[in-house]
Amino acid sequence: MSASAGPVPQQTPSEAKRRKPGLLGWVVNRLGMDDLMEDQYNRVVPFHATNYIYCFGGIALVLFVILAATGIMLAVYYQPTPDAAYQSVLNISTHVQFGWWIRSIHRWSAGAMVVLVFVHMLRVFFTGAYKKPRELNWLTGVALLLITMGFGFTGYLLPWDQKAYWATKVGTDIAGSVPLIGHFLLVTLRGGDQISAATLGRFFALHVLVLPAIIVILLLGHFFMIRRHGISGRL
Amino acid sequence: MTRSSFLKWLIGIVGAVSVAGILYPVLRFLKPPAALSGAIGQVVNAGALSSFPAGQLTLVTVHDKPAAVQNLNGKYAVYSLICTHLGCVVAIHGDAFKCPCHASEFSPTGTVTRGPATLPLPTYHSQSQNGALLVGPIDLSGAPYPTWYKGEFS
Repeated sequence: MSASAGPVPQQTPSEAKRRKPGLLGWVVNRLGMDDLMEDQYNRVVPFHATNYIYCFGGIALVLFVILAATGIMLAVYYQPTPDAAYQSVLNISTHVQFGWWIRSIHRWSAGAMVVLVFVHMLRVFFTGAYKKPRELNWLTGVALLLITMGFGFTGYLLPWDQKAYWATKVGTDIAGSVPLIGHFLLVTLRGGDQISAATLGRFFALHVLVLPAIIVILLLGHFFMIRRHGISGRL
Repeated sequence: MTRSSFLKWLIGIVGAVSVAGILYPVLRFLKPPAALSGAIGQVVNAGALSSFPAGQLTLVTVHDKPAAVQNLNGKYAVYSLICTHLGCVVAIHGDAFKCPCHASEFSPTGTVTRGPATLPLPTYHSQSQNGALLVGPIDLSGAPYPTWYKGEFS
């Protein structure tokens, strides 16, 4: 061992870990994070899971993080009123520096996330990873797929152009065709019988406040259960 | 330098470059654009009249856009240097204008003398006051400018 390795080679590795130097070490020492993290560091990915088809869920998570970051940035300039919405989206794309870039990343990542979540679901299905004891995680996954679609549906209205208006008209009409509670669903989604400023306000609130809160809670549950169950066995 | 310290430096540099690559567009994004802050349309001081020599075109910037002040024996005009063809920045060519992108040429009064541009360079409203040249909004009423061109000034 060379001299630069440190003056205290007598310490065992775990003792050295427990007393870390520096600002980060100060925090780690006070929270006892070494014990907490040791279990995480020592987890081994099973050999059969070192395969690209096991990456789709992780890629979907990365896309979600990108969407959250770019979405916060778009919300800086976006104005959710019928008078201003379309112009504010145009301003983001034409006047705000890098606005076209941020908006394009948000838009393409949104489409990609729906695809990746779906492909992830296919992987889980065809490798039988939903079987006991992982049924509950499958169910949270189904909810996450629906939430992701909900993001797509509500986000589609926000530019407030012709395509947004008619897509939302058709989408909420479908909700209205549900037996018995259809009209209630339609009015609740639209904030009235017609698509109006109320609809835009509701979809904006869903898109930036309600759905993000729900998806974060569900994601934490999803990841907690992955840790609890471990990666499922090979086929 | 040991191999491990070299690798630590390498990771640090790559990390710093990556963070900077994200921070730079984010900070630029957050800078309020002139078009949205209401600055466009306001009157700005383009400089002292003495800084615009007679018979010459002098480069100035109006609301972050390139423009040229023309002094014809005490008669001042401010031309936009955004080419009416495809939006390139037109260069001053003697007492006239020439676009470096597609070689459109404009006379000293902004009219087209050589294509492919078809519309004249627009002028800004301007007046001299207390020895300074004050520049107001762009005058786009002289020709049927397309929407994208008007967008350059809004």
